[in-house]
Amino acid sequence: MNPKVYKRDIIIETTAKVMVPLILVFGMYVMVGTESTGGGFQGGCILAGGFILHVTAFGTEKGRGLMPESWNTFFTSFGLYLYNGAGQLGIIFSLGAAQFLNYSAVWPVANLVGIATARGYLVAFMVSVGIGVTVMAAFVSQYFDLAWKEEEERGERE
Amino acid sequence: MGLLTVLLLVGLFVYVVEDVPAFGDYNSPANKYIKLFSIEADGLVASLDAGVVPAEIKNEIERIGFNKENNYPTLEEGEYVIERNSGVFAVDSGEGWDVLINEGEIYFNEPIKYYFIKEENGKLTVYRYNWPVRVIEKTEEETATMNSITSGLADYRGYDTMFEETVIFSGAVSVILLLRRRGRL
Repeated sequence: MNPKVYKRDIIIETTAKVMVPLILVFGMYVMVGTESTGGGFQGGCILAGGFILHVTAFGTEKGRGLMPESWNTFFTSFGLYLYNGAGQLGIIFSLGAAQFLNYSAVWPVANLVGIATARGYLVAFMVSVGIGVTVMAAFVSQYFDLAWKEEEERGERE
Repeated sequence: MGLLTVLLLVGLFVYVVEDVPAFGDYNSPANKYIKLFSIEADGLVASLDAGVVPAEIKNEIERIGFNKENNYPTLEEGEYVIERNSGVFAVDSGEGWDVLINEGEIYFNEPIKYYFIKEENGKLTVYRYNWPVRVIEKTEEETATMNSITSGLADYRGYDTMFEETVIFSGAVSVILLLRRRGRL
């Protein structure tokens, strides 16, 4: 590892340490819920921004600890599966009567359990979190791929 | 040449902007309704008050394309409800009738606003309600979500959002395939 490339700076590292948890919490707040501002896409972008800030402060190798590649690959497709699963709930709960992504089929279950706003919660949690997780993992993965390429080219030159 | 292009663009802009309704106007055509056609009113008002759509209006609606071949619900006897509606088009000083049709959905099997018939100067004008009317008026009842933006994004237009997510996913996969170097980290 070239020491010129990653120069440690105590101010930047401390600022990143303080800010990253706050950014992640704010990203969660934007991502989850139907009545907040934003939604899955914006929340996922903010979460990805938190991870990217961590990496820019600590370098690619050390910064990778917060979001390992195996988790990242899992999250990229997990969000899509979550959304599709929420869509399939309509078919499952209505025993084939309702269409894919027809969340109205959740109403009988909601009546059974006694939660009137079950459909709203479904959209708020499963769908929004599905979008947010995919967007976050996609952006983080793209950032890491580009950063690695840069580092590799620099290593070849010197 | 550049000046000519700019002038042409300005002319086009003014021509387009003239037709755009005032911002935030709830009753503007783009937000609320589409005008379909006008018809002479003599003798038809009593029929509408009695809760029956006259044959002239029904035939004209089917002639312009809102018929069974195009998968629109038809105005057969007993399949629609007519309600007196006043004050919706307060800007146009109009009163009229809402034609509510049951579209036969599995859940929320209730008639929804479909056509609006307005009486004005001895003429009956038929409008078609736009989709945002349903979102504004029924979103809380149908989706248990207070925010009509969220229900529109994730509930009514679920396919749109799902495949937007798929686009981002495929972008990530493409970048992985193109740029990722194996054997590092």
